Amino acid sequence: MQPLLVPGTLDSLSAIGQYVNAAAVAAGLDKKVAYRLRLAVDEIATNIVIHGYEESGLSGDVLVLSTITDNSLIITLEDTSRPFDPRSMGRPDHIDKPVHERPIGGLGVYLTIQNVDKFDYEYVNGHNRNIFIVNRPKIEA
Amino acid sequence: MIEINIETLQAGAGTTSINAISLTGEIDATNAAEIQRRVMPLSAPGCKLLLDMTKVAYMSSAGLRMLLSLYRQTSAKQGRIVLVGLSDELQDTMSMTGFLGYFTVLDSLESGIQSLVS
Repeated sequence: MQPLLVPGTLDSLSAIGQYVNAAAVAAGLDKKVAYRLRLAVDEIATNIVIHGYEESGLSGDVLVLSTITDNSLIITLEDTSRPFDPRSMGRPDHIDKPVHERPIGGLGVYLTIQNVDKFDYEYVNGHNRNIFIVNRPKIEA
Repeated sequence: MIEINIETLQAGAGTTSINAISLTGEIDATNAAEIQRRVMPLSAPGCKLLLDMTKVAYMSSAGLRMLLSLYRQTSAKQGRIVLVGLSDELQDTMSMTGFLGYFTVLDSLESGIQSLVS
């Protein structure tokens, strides 16, 4: 699929979601796997827009790329906000606490990591690259 | 895009007033705050809230945060909240984050109403 370039605003989340859904169909992903991939990408895209751009007083775009290999679908989000590796957030320590005792927030990155087979991050040439990988179903021989 | 419909139901032969909130669309960071703004005023002392999610096709953590705020306020006011019509995917997300056990989650509108009346 052609890459998708959208402004780094909340209004772009819907277009990013549709792009991921279309890529999931092209890769032959099961409906539930597709949903979970879209969720993972949406959480990071939301953080890029809110924390990376808006709260930092920055503006920029989000580039969405998809690559289908024999074994996997790889979605990459690229942005030009400050370097931030979501993996540095770690597992929130409140996930086992009753809902009324836990802080509001800190769930997005956790959901991302839980909902893809592999989540990766790199900072290359002034771009954050968030990489989401899901395995494609095995084709019966 | 999200559509929010709120109506008041009289149940239990008129003994119980229930605020039924039905959401249609996708809940994400673009609209969770709007839902919270519309629904939070219903969370009054002793309130009974029925949140119908049958037509919610997608919900991100922004929706979970909205539900958490609503749950807290409703509990603080000795009110009750019941969720109905959650898709498997929404239930998975709530289960993964430990939310599922804290909410009353039922399949149908009817069972939700029945639970709030009792």
